[in-house]
Amino acid sequence: MFQAQHGAALYTHLAGAAVVSVILFFALTLVPTKLRRPLIMGVTFASGLFYALEFFWPVSGPEGDQNNFLTAYIKPFSDITTVLQSFALGLGVYSLVSIHMRKIARSQSGWAYSLVLVVCMVVMVIAHIGKEYIKAPWVHQLNEFAYSGLMKSLDATMFSIIAFYIVSAAYRAFRIRSTEATILLVSAAIIMLGQVAIGQAITNGIPNEGLTANLRVENLANWILKKVNSPAIMAIDFGLGVGGLATALRLWLSLERGSYFEEEL
Amino acid sequence: MNHATWPARVILIVISAVIVWTVIAAQRGKKLFIRRIPGLTAIDEAVGRAVEMGRGILLSSGLGGIDVVTLQALAICTNIASAAARYGTKVQMPIYEAALLPIAEDAIGSAYNKAGRGDAFSSDDVRYLSNQQFAYAAGVAGMIQREQYAATFLFGTFFAESLIMAENANMVGAIQVAGTPSTTQIPFFIASCDYVIIGDEYYAATAYLTRQPTLLGSMIGQDRVKIGILVVVMLGFLLTLAKLPLVKNLFEDKDMPVASYYTPDKGGK
Repeated sequence: MFQAQHGAALYTHLAGAAVVSVILFFALTLVPTKLRRPLIMGVTFASGLFYALEFFWPVSGPEGDQNNFLTAYIKPFSDITTVLQSFALGLGVYSLVSIHMRKIARSQSGWAYSLVLVVCMVVMVIAHIGKEYIKAPWVHQLNEFAYSGLMKSLDATMFSIIAFYIVSAAYRAFRIRSTEATILLVSAAIIMLGQVAIGQAITNGIPNEGLTANLRVENLANWILKKVNSPAIMAIDFGLGVGGLATALRLWLSLERGSYFEEEL
Repeated sequence: MNHATWPARVILIVISAVIVWTVIAAQRGKKLFIRRIPGLTAIDEAVGRAVEMGRGILLSSGLGGIDVVTLQALAICTNIASAAARYGTKVQMPIYEAALLPIAEDAIGSAYNKAGRGDAFSSDDVRYLSNQQFAYAAGVAGMIQREQYAATFLFGTFFAESLIMAENANMVGAIQVAGTPSTTQIPFFIASCDYVIIGDEYYAATAYLTRQPTLLGSMIGQDRVKIGILVVVMLGFLLTLAKLPLVKNLFEDKDMPVASYYTPDKGGK
């Protein structure tokens, strides 16, 4: 729908968009308090209606590329969402920096950690944006060090910690003396044994055919996963689907005003 | 793009109509009853414990963006914040998605105002941490260890970081209530938290906590829809056993994956 712009046209469009945004924001501030609620409800309804109509309206065209008169507007709409979310990132960064700068300025306990955070943030921004515009090799090396060398490794470290937390959480869950905990323990033991070769070796002597095959640990594990676990998950998903639809309807039709607008409809 | 097929159109419109109709009936004063949900009753217990201990409460809305799941989490958190503010207990909420920050700030601020403690709210208590999964988890873990919260509430979309957060809260002795529609994370929460809200209890939480007619009506509407779908499933099961073509005709639609699965002559099982 909208073509990508380059050169002078790009800057003209950017300036135009900025002017329109300022006018729009200014106009919104002039809206009387009494009209703000209907305005929000109207915008919410219109936005939801667009996606609902696009989904429900009959489609035409070749198989695999069917669309209706609204399909072409889906991408510009999602682009608008992306732009709005990008603005919000600025708010997030402001929140983070203001909290930690205040901590540093007031020398509150742990201010040194806040200093590390702010310095790291500045270095990462310089390195990551700088590599796009500055040709000097040190910028690329800094980005490589900060992003690939440091951040990715720290991410992997946090992820690996989960292995230890799984053990401690499982230990606590199994230690509880209740029927549910016992069922959990037995099921977990069967599943674990069924997944590893040493577990399968325990029941390797049982023939893999006939009724007795059901007693082999890998078959027991598969049975638990497919006949007990999967239906339970499907049932949960089923309830969640209906619940999600109901919540979406309440939000779309602004029926749930109690949580966000302080009063009941 | 995905588009609705005729069965989807009819089913979704009928489901939506039932839910909206029940909501309107509830708003007009129809009395509705909901059963006791232990996980949700535990919310009051956890807030009470935090008040007694004089320590704070952590709220997390998980890793979701602005979607139905996160907005529901925010609605639950708002109610918890309101209850905590009434008793002068500090509530902190780390945010993962920057776009959610102003919404969460406004919602939690409103909760404080509703409790008559607007002066106690500090915008620093709703803070953006990071939109990187494990950076967020590390940030939350750090907050838990520093603030030694008495209670933590984890509601929303969670992934692998759920256990990092729950186990850190366990280390500081916090009472934990979690609720998530992420079915892969439910086992981790069950193993590490004191109370877990599963399945559609997650969407029932606001109705249960506030008892607002709109929310109660929506919940009863959901239940009616589920009963209706279960009846159709049972009917389909029996008719399939009897080899009657009704189910085949109902699912005879090339755009619905379920059709190819349940219709033997289309290569299904």
